[in-house]
Amino acid sequence: MIVTANRLRSIGWVVLLALCGAVVLALSFRVNALRSQVHRAEQRIVALKQEKMYLETEFETRANQQQLKSWNDIEFGYVAPTAGQYLENERQLASLSKPADPDAPAPIRVASADDSVIASAAFPAMVSPLTGKSAQAEEAIAQTDAPAAHVDHATATAALGERLGTVGRSRHAEGAAPAAKKKAAKTVGAKTVDKAGSAKASASRSASAAGKPRSVTARKEGRISR
Amino acid sequence: MNALTASAAIASGRVQLANVRQSALLTAKKRALIILLAFVFLTATALMRVVQIGLFEGSPDRRSMADALVPERGEITDRNGVALARAFPSYSLWYNPKAFGEKGGSPLVKTPEEVARALVQIFPDADYDDLVRRLKSDKPSYLRKRVLPEEANHVFALGEPALEFPRENQRYYPQGSLAANVLGFVDLAGKGHVGMEQVLEPRLLDPAQRANPVALSIDARAQGALEDELGRGMLESNAKGAAGIILDVDTGEVIALASLPSFNPNRSDRVFNGLVFNRVSNQVYELGSTFKPITVAAAIDAGVITDLSVRYPTGPLNIGGFTIHDSHNFGPSLNVPEALVHSSNIVTAQIADKLGGPALRRIMMQLGMNERPTIELPARGFPLWPRGTDAKGDWARITTMTVSYGHGIAVTPLHLASAYAALVNGGIWRPATLYKVDPARVPPGRRVFKASTSARIRQLLRMIVVDGTGRKADASGFRVGGKTGSAEKPGAGGYRRTSLVATFAAAFPMDKPRYVVIAMLDEPQGTVATSGQRTAAWNAAPIVGRVVPRIGPLLGVVPDASRDVDITDLSPLVANGDGE
Repeated sequence: MIVTANRLRSIGWVVLLALCGAVVLALSFRVNALRSQVHRAEQRIVALKQEKMYLETEFETRANQQQLKSWNDIEFGYVAPTAGQYLENERQLASLSKPADPDAPAPIRVASADDSVIASAAFPAMVSPLTGKSAQAEEAIAQTDAPAAHVDHATATAALGERLGTVGRSRHAEGAAPAAKKKAAKTVGAKTVDKAGSAKASASRSASAAGKPRSVTARKEGRISR
Repeated sequence: MNALTASAAIASGRVQLANVRQSALLTAKKRALIILLAFVFLTATALMRVVQIGLFEGSPDRRSMADALVPERGEITDRNGVALARAFPSYSLWYNPKAFGEKGGSPLVKTPEEVARALVQIFPDADYDDLVRRLKSDKPSYLRKRVLPEEANHVFALGEPALEFPRENQRYYPQGSLAANVLGFVDLAGKGHVGMEQVLEPRLLDPAQRANPVALSIDARAQGALEDELGRGMLESNAKGAAGIILDVDTGEVIALASLPSFNPNRSDRVFNGLVFNRVSNQVYELGSTFKPITVAAAIDAGVITDLSVRYPTGPLNIGGFTIHDSHNFGPSLNVPEALVHSSNIVTAQIADKLGGPALRRIMMQLGMNERPTIELPARGFPLWPRGTDAKGDWARITTMTVSYGHGIAVTPLHLASAYAALVNGGIWRPATLYKVDPARVPPGRRVFKASTSARIRQLLRMIVVDGTGRKADASGFRVGGKTGSAEKPGAGGYRRTSLVATFAAAFPMDKPRYVVIAMLDEPQGTVATSGQRTAAWNAAPIVGRVVPRIGPLLGVVPDASRDVDITDLSPLVANGDGE
């Protein structure tokens, strides 16, 4: 059988067309197979999320406030932390385990402190009483004549251990300090309130550190009536 | 002839045979064609189906996943995202008498009594007689809503096809009765009642918004602590009810709001009763001495009190046939701090008299005492606002005096909380809200007191706790300040001496107030736990004293014994602290 070139060409086109069609079909099958895989995966995700929600809800139910409270009453007996368990700042931490010197004055308490200043300020670095600049900045100036480096909270904290050591070593060197502090306490006058170490003394609010005895001494503690 | 006939017969037989062969061949061809056509049809159908599946089906709906996870009713959370109410698909136990078809005998395999007995073993709180009645009837009904999966398994093990477990979307409150009065409940028809479920109903059901939970201002931990301590105080003092509220003084957000006795919103079939009543926002009380700081603040603000050491006589006041007494005799005279510390009605009445009715009335109105409390809850009580004697509504002299110490005016504890927030926060009154407030969008509020007045009142409130009737609320390191109030409840023929409303209105920390805490007990009794006393100093103040240490650290108030509001300029003015 003799096939003419023309016929051969048209057969070729048909074959090519059929081939393309087959490839398109195969590709779209593949795409749809993937799509249904995604669909199945999504269904699984939904199922798992719902399962998670059930478990979460069950956990929250079993650990709800009332349940936790009854467990605490029976088993744990936890109580709210007291003031003594909190440390406000590095200074309190530094003085935590250090016993007060026998002749040390009671800590000075400023009558009202602006929280926003404390909150925004980093740990105050040691400040020179003469220049009002931080000690580190002074050192830097003295050493290099470079502009004072800003003392940020991170570096202040990092240097805490170092400073703790300094406090311990220099206690004797600062022998004159308590007397100076006592003087300061007096000058603050009515604006100072005695902390006196113990909470009870603090609560009774004597103003003795300010050199100001209570005008009324006959307090009837504990008797409360209508 | 014979041969001819024989050959003819053979010839005809051949012809016949050829015919038979041809027809058989034709039949076979036909059949083959039919089979071929059938196969072609089958193949074509199969191919079409393959193409159909391959090209058009299996493509996931883009929204399917999002839709599947959107709850039918939006979730309500507390300010930290703890779920307080959520849509929860749970099993319920449904009795279907038609399980074996329309006709026929009993739908149950065993007798109804046996099944009911088995069900009571699984659900010990179920009512046996009710179950038997339902199982004997031929109407389908719920035997039980909300069945745990393990319980469903037990019921399934009974082998009764008539007991079905449809999975239904229900409202579920993981925290149980916590904040029930704030949340309210959803009835069996899916309608919200009482609390935020009712208020937020359109928002919770809106398809566009219900995917996002609604955050309330409530803090579940603080709410738990408040309910817990109020419940304890209520038991200890054998009170009829208790109410408590914790309010953020700077934003007006309600951090916790409790009204006891409460109800369990999970059992919405049982909550239509008297317990669904909010004492904080709906019930008005004469709150007594807790009003005295408001009067004093009004007087300081108006310049009527300029010197706190001025002494006022404490003899019984006789005004128009009505005598104002104090609970105790505190000596011949008292100054203002002493009057607050001892809670003297007589001195407060004199201060109010000097201040004048219109000024006190204006302050009370600025504090919102003459209208329903501003909060989103639907149940808000209208105050008993004293009627005026003239067209302007000005009060009679005796009314001014009684209002000054919290009598003759009845408001909700929520009114008092908002007023105390204004007293201590620098003098700005803001409406209370149950929605979480963005710190950048705090409502401006309205100024009622000067900042200096507020500072003075902070000192005075702290003094009451340090030296006066609020001593049992003095949580160490939290700088609590507050005022007790023990008001006799009005009854037939005057006030009843034994039915009190004991309130302690407090704020902490007093050097920079963050939260107002109010604890109120309705008709507390003198018990051993309260040393036989029924006044607020013995029952309501200790509640605040126990709540504050529990909630303070959670709400960002660190106890610090080295800080306090400075009261050294006032403490020399006060002798000792006793009073109402």
